[in-house]
Amino acid sequence: MSFFQRLQNSAFTDWFLGSPSIWAYPTVLTLHTVGMAILVGASFVINLRVLQVSGLIPLHRLQPLYRFIWIGFTINLVSGLVLFLTEAADRVVDPVFYVKMASIAVALALGLVVKRRTIDGMGARQVATVQTRSMAGAALGMWTVAIVAGRLMAYLKK
Amino acid sequence: MAELAAWMESTWISKTLFGISWLWPASESLHFIGLCMLIGGAGLLDLRLIGLFRGLAIGHVKALMPWAIGGFLINAVTGTLFLIMQPHLYLTSAVWWAKVAFLGLAGANALFFETRLAVPALGMHPDADTSTTMKVIGAVSLFSWFAVLYCGRMLPYLGTGN
Repeated sequence: MSFFQRLQNSAFTDWFLGSPSIWAYPTVLTLHTVGMAILVGASFVINLRVLQVSGLIPLHRLQPLYRFIWIGFTINLVSGLVLFLTEAADRVVDPVFYVKMASIAVALALGLVVKRRTIDGMGARQVATVQTRSMAGAALGMWTVAIVAGRLMAYLKK
Repeated sequence: MAELAAWMESTWISKTLFGISWLWPASESLHFIGLCMLIGGAGLLDLRLIGLFRGLAIGHVKALMPWAIGGFLINAVTGTLFLIMQPHLYLTSAVWWAKVAFLGLAGANALFFETRLAVPALGMHPDADTSTTMKVIGAVSLFSWFAVLYCGRMLPYLGTGN
């Protein structure tokens, strides 16, 4: 039996997916949605601002939103890891799972570059360059892809 | 409610929509995207009302509201589609009615802000602290939107829903 198959067939998985308790699978799934709302909600706001939506907000004042982004990301990293462990063998052969992981990685990387170019260093300059704005637009697109891929994964379960 | 659900499910519109195989998953994806737009936009205004994010003028934050309202409308439409397609999942579920109640609370709260607090809030200095009423309104909004999310996500697992 492969490593991922052993993970998926563990006693923890049996309890996690089989337990009638709402504190097992339903709560972890709900935490994953709460984390998404915080992480993607805050990312939407920052990227929209870089695209000049609510353009009068001073960019550097949005800095504290990154605390929310990391809180949301941590919630979803932990809850996502638990969900992955219990479906490991199915997920490692699921292309949609890789699309989701890749789009999250790209969205986060773009977010960090956008942060460095605007929030951290823009000072009084309130309008991002076209290149930075395209990155913000791409980050919005990547978050959207991640959400759609995550939702569709539920339909590819055995 | 079970009779109402059974009748709705027997209608042509319910059967036709539910017969479109991609409509349910597509609506679910849109429902999640709308949720992020709503909680992102409305959440920042709520946090400012609570007194965080000093330095942001409330009028400037309100420029995000069309996106939050857009997210809400996406979710109102997709949510209505779920209801039409599978009414028995919702109408007989106490958790779904709790979700509707929290939606009502969020709506009434937003209405109170718009009619009673928006004018003084817009006139505030960007660095100013907010009044106790504004803090309560911001906190109630944030709480009720996350309660809506919780009820929606837990609906298949809690109470009488399946």
